[in-house]
Amino acid sequence: MDIQQLLFTFANAEVAARYWPDIAMGMRITLELGAWVTVSGLILGVGLALLRALQWRPLTLLIVCFADIMRALPPLVVIIMFYFAFPYIELSMSAFTATWLALSLVLAAYAEESLWGGIRAVSKGQSEAARASGLSWWQCMTSVILPQASRIALPGLTNRVIAVAKNTALGSVVALSEILNNAQSASSNAGNPTPLVLGALAYLLIFIPVVLLGRWLEARMAWRR
Amino acid sequence: MNTAAYPILELVGLRKHYGDQEVLKGIDLRVRPGELVCVIGPSGSGKSSMLRCCNRLEECSGGQIVVDGTDLAAPGVNLNQVRQKIGMVFQQFNLYPHLNVLGNVTLALRKVQGYSRAKAQEKALAALARVGLADKADAWPAALSGGQQQRVGIARAIALEPRIVLFDEPTSALDPELVGSVLQVMQELRESGMTMLVVTHEMAFARAVADRVVFMDGGVIVEQGPPDAIFGAPRELRTQAFLQRVCS
Repeated sequence: MDIQQLLFTFANAEVAARYWPDIAMGMRITLELGAWVTVSGLILGVGLALLRALQWRPLTLLIVCFADIMRALPPLVVIIMFYFAFPYIELSMSAFTATWLALSLVLAAYAEESLWGGIRAVSKGQSEAARASGLSWWQCMTSVILPQASRIALPGLTNRVIAVAKNTALGSVVALSEILNNAQSASSNAGNPTPLVLGALAYLLIFIPVVLLGRWLEARMAWRR
Repeated sequence: MNTAAYPILELVGLRKHYGDQEVLKGIDLRVRPGELVCVIGPSGSGKSSMLRCCNRLEECSGGQIVVDGTDLAAPGVNLNQVRQKIGMVFQQFNLYPHLNVLGNVTLALRKVQGYSRAKAQEKALAALARVGLADKADAWPAALSGGQQQRVGIARAIALEPRIVLFDEPTSALDPELVGSVLQVMQELRESGMTMLVVTHEMAFARAVADRVVFMDGGVIVEQGPPDAIFGAPRELRTQAFLQRVCS
């Protein structure tokens, strides 16, 4: 085993110093994109779950179709479709917008399914108690059902948020200069894979706190006694 | 207004069917102010369905449900408005597990009746005091015994100052030793003048506390009258058979 060679190849200080700014710029894009995807995906997911709770058949059918298609398609395919196919129907968008839109829709589909599962798991007596005291459907949903449903859905939801946010790496396919793309170009320019190691570190830097945040949320939201 | 003659709740020809199975076959019932009416009868007799039609948790198929002068079954009725006047206490308590006791009691006070947080808490604490649980305001429902949970359920209902409270088998989910505390709270409520319609299996309670007992079987009211008459000298064969089964 040649430690010297290993370090030169994968942890080359000189290469790291030269290409760190590229990785840092990629981090900014990844962070920004991940945050936007999380926010818009969750908002859309909650909205869809609420619409589904109206139990209006045609709407339910549409939502189920959307959720099933978005969960069945590889996110990469959705991104490529938005970026490369939509210009043909006069809908050009930047690599950032295409990735954001695709991943938001994917996250929304999963979030809707988790939340809907949560809503169904809340016992019927809860909405009966709320409605019997005069709360409207909307008040019952927001004050009684959703707080409980989101607790039930939370573990699945945090995992999915992390998984979809990591999929920002797929943006590299449409030349979005996020971490992975920048790391790949840097390593081919340098002829050395050290930037890829930097990229891995950058992902850890971003997502370890997110994972910890998820754990903290789950612990905090556990039923109090 | 002559409140003595004016029923708070009046059911007129109430019908309900699931598919082609008729569970309520024309119920006529009046509950006057301050009255405690107990509804007894075998399971499947339609007594819970009738109670749940009174605030339209279940939809009826025909007839009138008049609460405080408003027909709930009429089209265009503001259901949320009328429901404030009808408290409900459930067999399974149905406390909100994500809110503490105070949060459970204040929710509708704030959201439906529009009280400020401070005013709602004041009213909630008064309601909790009436059920003997003012000291549990900060507790979580899961930390309470079944009897305490049901008393919170009662406080949640009476805090809205309803005209009538519906009780759907309020002690059926309780351990036997906890039943007494809930029945006692109900008796105190009755003495304070609350109008109550109670579906129950507690025959001793019905006999001791009710102003009137209604016996239902097969989706109809078979017989009703003062507790002594129903329990002491039932006229109908079905009532006699039922009482013999449950009281022996």
